Amino acid sequence: MSLLTLENTAIVVDSTCDPPAGYFEGPGLVMVPLKVHFGDETYRDGVDLSPDEFFAKLVAAPMLPTTSQPTVGEFAAVYSRLSQEYEHVLSFHLSSRMSGTYQASLTAAQPYGGIEVYDTGTVSGTISLLVELLRRRLGEGISHDETHAYVEHFARQNHMIFQVPTLEYLRRGGRIGRAQSMVGDVFGIRPLITVQDGELVAYAKVRGERRALETMTALLREHTAPADAVKLITWSSVADDKLPALEAALLEARPQASVVMHGRVGAVVGTHGGPGMFAFAMIVE
Amino acid sequence: MSARGHVLEVLAGASAALGLERDYINDLNVYPVPDGDTGTNLFLTVQAIIDEVGASPVGDLPGLMAVVTRGSLMGARGNSGVILSQIVRGACDSIAAAQTFDAAAVSDALRQAAEAAYRAVRQPVEGTMLSVIRAMADAATGSPQTISLPVLLTTVSTAGAEAVDRTIDQLEALRRAGVVDAGGYGLLVLLRGAVAGFLRAETGSQPPAAVVADGSDRRRGRASRHIAGIPPDAIEDSRFRYCTSFLLLGEELDAADLERFVGAQGDCALVVGGEGMLKIHVHTDHPGAVLSYASAHGTIDDIEVADMREQTRARRARLRLDQRVACVAVAAGEGNKTLFRELGCEAVIDGGQSMNPSAAELVAAVESLDAGEVVVLPNNGNVILTAEQAATMCDRQVAVVASASLPAGLAAMVAFDAGATATANAVAMQEAMLRVRSAEITHAVRDSEIDGVAVHEGEVIGLVEGRLAASGDDLRLVFGDVVRTLGTQGAELITILTALNGCGVSVADLQRTAAEACATACPLVEFLFQEGGQPLYPILMGAE
Repeated sequence: MSLLTLENTAIVVDSTCDPPAGYFEGPGLVMVPLKVHFGDETYRDGVDLSPDEFFAKLVAAPMLPTTSQPTVGEFAAVYSRLSQEYEHVLSFHLSSRMSGTYQASLTAAQPYGGIEVYDTGTVSGTISLLVELLRRRLGEGISHDETHAYVEHFARQNHMIFQVPTLEYLRRGGRIGRAQSMVGDVFGIRPLITVQDGELVAYAKVRGERRALETMTALLREHTAPADAVKLITWSSVADDKLPALEAALLEARPQASVVMHGRVGAVVGTHGGPGMFAFAMIVE
Repeated sequence: MSARGHVLEVLAGASAALGLERDYINDLNVYPVPDGDTGTNLFLTVQAIIDEVGASPVGDLPGLMAVVTRGSLMGARGNSGVILSQIVRGACDSIAAAQTFDAAAVSDALRQAAEAAYRAVRQPVEGTMLSVIRAMADAATGSPQTISLPVLLTTVSTAGAEAVDRTIDQLEALRRAGVVDAGGYGLLVLLRGAVAGFLRAETGSQPPAAVVADGSDRRRGRASRHIAGIPPDAIEDSRFRYCTSFLLLGEELDAADLERFVGAQGDCALVVGGEGMLKIHVHTDHPGAVLSYASAHGTIDDIEVADMREQTRARRARLRLDQRVACVAVAAGEGNKTLFRELGCEAVIDGGQSMNPSAAELVAAVESLDAGEVVVLPNNGNVILTAEQAATMCDRQVAVVASASLPAGLAAMVAFDAGATATANAVAMQEAMLRVRSAEITHAVRDSEIDGVAVHEGEVIGLVEGRLAASGDDLRLVFGDVVRTLGTQGAELITILTALNGCGVSVADLQRTAAEACATACPLVEFLFQEGGQPLYPILMGAE
């Protein structure tokens, strides 16, 4: 069987992977949008609404928006086209415990041969990091088994953590999973949330900005050795001051690490996380 | 009233009764899968019938029965919804043939409803909706031929209730969980609601209480207690993950062949319908395989795939309330009390320096909470003993975390986790508390010597862990000294609870003072000011 390369392999994601602006505009890259609904108005995440436009609307909206997953038909249209143009199609989606998107894509892929649909077990920029690192391998050409093994490795070994100023949005969207009982937004508590078994869970209840940043960095220390060449992605809902401080702290803890890319929280993740969210994800390759 | 009016009243009655009981039926749901959606499925199936009738102009009884049958088939959701659609089909076929609604017709309708339901299920199980509909049919058949319709309906309703009661002994899963069958109970609720609607249409008045499902049913009380007590491991997860249902439209659909294929993909397989439309339901790990097989034979529509593992988890979380842990704190000052509540403390009672609560008040606070275990934070050295005494008097597990000050108690409260046991909480909260150094600023009540320093009545004194750290006439200066002391001793975050009424100092003054006091000695310290409102102490501090 031929090797998978950038030329013969298409990658499909859904818009919850919160990539850097324009990342999925290249050939062989397709981002299927989830939708966000402000009252009767529906927008396709990342298509009709940029992150900046979304957060401006979010702050001004009288009611919180809601979100919905792509339909089976929307995925089927993409798969139908790509399966004719490419030998291989890899499709990566947010945890099936957070959304039915994976199930919809799986159902849509069923009639077509050669489409591998993955439940990444995580969400947001972490998925963009997976795609970017996988694409670097596709650049060299890798076998089907190696591709599968790498995705499995990534799914098992990645870690992500994010901080939100308030748990209000997560709570109202019902997406808080096992972090349900967590208190935030009072007494200087900075809610820190991670993903475990495909669900959001409270990582730690920490008070004070500096200690919250230290605790985020502690996740990196905990899962890596000092000499590990860790690959990182950082991302946030608004392009502001949080990321430079976070990156400085991460690179101080692990000087061999490199920040592969910077993502932006899109409309769907933003609906559930709210403004002011910032995060990093890591993988030791 | 017209046939259409009657049918709409019956449906409205069923829908209203299910609407009232929907959540409760969801909570009862442990069989065949504890996914907690039986009430919702029954309710939405009835809703679909109402929508179908509403959208159709048909007015004659046989025509209406066909519309109801079609609506129930198209709208059937979940295992219980699909079985309900067959009960509806059997009853509607019978009533359409009889062209009337008298006692004999209703009796025959129940018989045909039961038969249709049994036919739909490959391996009928007793202790479910099936046994309930059959008991109702048997009661109707066994009644004297001269019986009036209202009396017949009451008899049927009573027999249904008894059948629901029996389900708990008929099925091992129900017996272990200590609940009656959700589908069976839901069917009873639906029937009672439908009967109430029918009698309303007949007489234009309210029906007798015996046939109305009003949420006060005796089973409700009995089973409610059971629900709360269901041990999590008494309920088995489904072997299969996805509850999959959809409509299949096409000419000459081979129901038997589809049933064979679908049945091999999982369990709870149901293939029902006819005349160019089948409703297919199965619990499977491979919804895609089922859909693609079916799509080769016709057009698929109204696909619904629910993750039962997730539903099961959600149901458990909902019912785990009695196993949860809550917290009681003793606090003085509105700001401090609010803070404890915001941090997740469910009962905050007044108390503190020179205003200690009694053990009885603490016991009452603990026992007022809907929680199996309780953590108590006394937040004052003088209240610890009382709290420990109260703990021995309570009707449940109580752990006292011996917090001797409000700042210590707040630090402990931050570590509180409602998802952990009281014992695990006590350990974590104790640890959090030990990382905090408490400080306070107050006025000396008399001339005295504290730790070798002479202080005068009315003078401002700053204490760190009970020892004099600073004193003087100016609150700001003493505060600055104490903050610097805490900062240079390694504090990263200093929480400052203020009660500045009558002190002639504002929070903004203190913020400036703190920043200046630490600017060179310990510039990385963060401050968090909160209005505490405690008596006697203008400032309480926790440093960690």
